[in-house]
Amino acid sequence: MKTMIVAAGFAAMPVLALAQTTEIETAVGAVTVPVAPETVVTFDLTALDTLTALSVDVAAVPVIAPPSYLADAFDGTPTVGTLFEPDFEALAVMAPDFIIAGGRSQSQVEPLSAIAPTIDMTISGDNLLADAQARVTAYGTMFAQQDTATALLDDLDAAIENARNVTDGQGNALIVLTNGGKVSAYGDDSRFGWLHTALGLPEAFPELNAETHGEAISFEFIAEVNPDWIFVVDRGAAIGQEGEAAAVTLDNPLVAGTTAGQNDQIVYLDSARLYLVGGGYQSMTGTIDEVVAAFSAEPS
Amino acid sequence: MQYRLYAALTLALLVGASCLIGVADIFAGDLDRQMVMLVSRLPRTFAALLAGAGLALAGVVVQMSVQNRLVEPSLVGTPESAMLGLLIVTLIAPGAALMIKMSVAAATALVGTLGFLWLARHVPRRDPVLLPLVGLIYGGIIGAAVLWLAWTTDLVQYIGVWQSGEFSGVLQGRYELLWIVAAIAALVWFAADRITMLGLGEDAARSLGLDYRQTLLAGLILVSIIVAVVVVSVGSIPFVGLVVPNIVSRWRGDNLRRNLPLVAWLGGCMVLGCDIIGRVIRFPYEIPAGTVFAVIGAGIFLWLLHAAPRQFHG
Repeated sequence: MKTMIVAAGFAAMPVLALAQTTEIETAVGAVTVPVAPETVVTFDLTALDTLTALSVDVAAVPVIAPPSYLADAFDGTPTVGTLFEPDFEALAVMAPDFIIAGGRSQSQVEPLSAIAPTIDMTISGDNLLADAQARVTAYGTMFAQQDTATALLDDLDAAIENARNVTDGQGNALIVLTNGGKVSAYGDDSRFGWLHTALGLPEAFPELNAETHGEAISFEFIAEVNPDWIFVVDRGAAIGQEGEAAAVTLDNPLVAGTTAGQNDQIVYLDSARLYLVGGGYQSMTGTIDEVVAAFSAEPS
Repeated sequence: MQYRLYAALTLALLVGASCLIGVADIFAGDLDRQMVMLVSRLPRTFAALLAGAGLALAGVVVQMSVQNRLVEPSLVGTPESAMLGLLIVTLIAPGAALMIKMSVAAATALVGTLGFLWLARHVPRRDPVLLPLVGLIYGGIIGAAVLWLAWTTDLVQYIGVWQSGEFSGVLQGRYELLWIVAAIAALVWFAADRITMLGLGEDAARSLGLDYRQTLLAGLILVSIIVAVVVVSVGSIPFVGLVVPNIVSRWRGDNLRRNLPLVAWLGGCMVLGCDIIGRVIRFPYEIPAGTVFAVIGAGIFLWLLHAAPRQFHG
């Protein structure tokens, strides 16, 4: 009897493997996906970040100079076009089982669907933390790594809780992005806004609007807002381009005169991590670590 | 002589407004007023005046060089060529000093402008609109090359910084290159008669004893330097060189020596005015002066085309 059941089980296995699907949350709602697909390609750095955290290997990645902490995931992995322009021929040859797109590759979801089932895992700025957590859960379910996913989420909660305690009562903050000699500011509903909402850091200028590329501001704006802390995202450094560094752009009497400038509370965040991989699990925990380190180092 | 008084008054008003309008509240007293003035307001005011005056003068020289009132540097590919140079220097030597970047930009701007001049010789003169169209296409081709290069090297948003001229990044120590424009303005003024002769065409200019080619080259070198300095320090501002000389020549005829100060004044005032508007519209955020000028300049240009002059002096 026992052998018969086992035999039946073996006979049914290939069928089961094909039929095994699960439902996960994506940017466009719940979608049915295969469980643990073999050859997975991702065009979303954020997905790659979280998948790496879950120890899931991908078969191909886009062409880009990755942030250093993702270098291992890129090392030796074949490339299939850029974030914005997939190389469809290479993809067709590779014939992946599944494609994960989103963010910068969001517009390619439909053309990619012609090659393999493709999901849109874009994370929006105004709800970044919740989206990021939902993605961890979704990938956990899809790649049968539920336990790891739960553990990661617990770690993230703990990191956020710790950061909230460390930053509590330490004053307000302004997030600025530098590009060449110009600066723009980001509010709490922007792509970097989770630093305010998740960590409970008050905004130095609460009326900032949501803009993908921030609001163009002058240095006088920074002087007038007079933030206690300034978080700096250096766009040039983020995309691996040399030139005028953020520190040079912000080195002027107007910025130096702010509370942040005088108390040495201008924090240069790892821009590649934050700018290119916003919402990735390792990106978030890494950035939280940076913030905690900056606030802890300060006797103020 | 009355107009000089008005001109001085307008300039004073604009400079005053520019010094008073800004995000930092200089009346509140918790900021160092003198510091804000010296570090931010005055440099920004000078930068707008110099960039505007320079671009307007560059427009005059280009218009004279090709004997067509409907062109200006940004319609003959000069800023695009300057950007190409900047991009190339950024790719080859990202850490190069500003002066080197600017020199390369000026050199490529000159080559690009000379390219247009060569094209201009082969365009039939009967229809004055044909040349600007050719220039537009020519500039578009260079612009496309710039965009392609930027796209393949992941620098699209980096060139975006130069594509729309704005003054939000201007501070003491970051705009001083623009004073080169003031020196060039003086040179153009000294050469006003020669530039007028350029506008008569090669044969007439030669018969008047002008070394046509040398003058032409000198004029275009000045234009290239102006455009390169402006693009490198604040970004490209289209239309200034087209609109301003046309308004002035309609108003006061074509005596270049008399008009040049007026052209410089109007260019400076208009760009400064646009920067002030850009500072106010979405206070406390910024709208690029180049964007404001493009809207206003397009309107003025349509009006210039529509309201055909009773008599053409040139």
